[in-house]
Amino acid sequence: MDIRTPVFCGIVPPHILDRLTRADDPAVSGPARRTLQADAAHRTGRRLTTVLGAAARAVAAPADGPRRTVYDAQNGTVLPGTRVRGEGEEAARDATVNRAYAGLGATFELLTAYGRSSIDGAGLPLDASVHYDEKYGNAFWNGEQMVFGDGDGEIFLDFTVAVDVIAHELAHGLTQYTANLSYFGQPGALNESMSDVLGSLVKQRTLGQSADEADWLIGAGLLTPRVEGVALRSMKAPGTAYDDDVLGKDPQPATMEEYVSTGRDNGGVHINSGIPNHAFYLLATRLGGRAWERAGQIWFDVLTGGALPVDADFGSFARLTVAAAKARYGEGEEQEAVLKAWSQVGVKTSE
Amino acid sequence: MRIQVRRTGGFAGIERHAEVDTSARADASEVHALAERAVAEGRDTPPIGVPDGFSYQLTVDGRTVYCSDPRLTEAQSQLISLVLKEGL
Repeated sequence: MDIRTPVFCGIVPPHILDRLTRADDPAVSGPARRTLQADAAHRTGRRLTTVLGAAARAVAAPADGPRRTVYDAQNGTVLPGTRVRGEGEEAARDATVNRAYAGLGATFELLTAYGRSSIDGAGLPLDASVHYDEKYGNAFWNGEQMVFGDGDGEIFLDFTVAVDVIAHELAHGLTQYTANLSYFGQPGALNESMSDVLGSLVKQRTLGQSADEADWLIGAGLLTPRVEGVALRSMKAPGTAYDDDVLGKDPQPATMEEYVSTGRDNGGVHINSGIPNHAFYLLATRLGGRAWERAGQIWFDVLTGGALPVDADFGSFARLTVAAAKARYGEGEEQEAVLKAWSQVGVKTSE
Repeated sequence: MRIQVRRTGGFAGIERHAEVDTSARADASEVHALAERAVAEGRDTPPIGVPDGFSYQLTVDGRTVYCSDPRLTEAQSQLISLVLKEGL
């Protein structure tokens, strides 16, 4: 089965469906809101090239620092909600607001270290809404901004408690503005993996950890104490993050031998991301030192380099990382380590 | 009326499924009206949704429709909350 073809792909493109249903959608209040949200969904669903729809929010001159705004959705679903903290303003009384603000800053700093001004490369302001909906156990990127729920209290805590989760969501924005990997099957799993990689790197950089010191977990601290698990995903040991009566067992594979073919979860985007996640972990630990420096730079170069197609599979991504390692570091230990990492997870780097 | 909700995706990628049978409920007629609205406003194929957003599959008396965050209609949102909270 060719998993690059979504199982439930209709004949009418999703973004057209989005348009058709938009007019009668009572969940959106008011024409302005409707336009914004529909545009956002439209842009995220699009499989075309990058930033076509983003002109309204982009700014002309690159900014030196981040321009963050945190909103409070006040347990409703109207976005963005009430503005509670803008750039340079003093801390709010709400720790959730401050965690979101700090997480956006930490992510912005990593992008700056890679020479990129915000997620669009042109200083795009970063917006996040917290306290979305009631007992909402999720966080997502809506094409315009990050959205964080408080967690249901039974399985998940507040989604801002983990800086890697905040960076993960913002990285979806970076991907949207660059390779714009489609959110299905292998390109979708690569999209997810890029977010996990950048999420983990932001956490490691914030904590000043080397690749050997890092826990390589995604969402550590997010699960309530009653859940049998340490996090949602493990890049070091995919499939081992949780094993719980209610949640079930972490379904992530570490290698192509265990690849999961499914139509659910957009073709397993949160499942098979374990394979490129583990390849990155193997690369970073083989190289040693700070993972965001050489290993992270290679991944970042591929994501933003312009050669990664929207429908890239693991193999085409892997080949580009080999080329990127050579382009930046020559035919040395970096390229060797990249080849070795992909080989260990069973992804071919030769055509 | 049998109402089933299957939620997939989300940051965690963990699936949830719940079902409500309205036959013994005092508020059956209200729930029926809600379910009919939610289904009428759904789609026959899953919308792509947004990265890490939840996707929902609603099945009411054998008919299945799809919707996804963050663009649920009011009826869809209410029905999903009700079934995931009170369903088995």
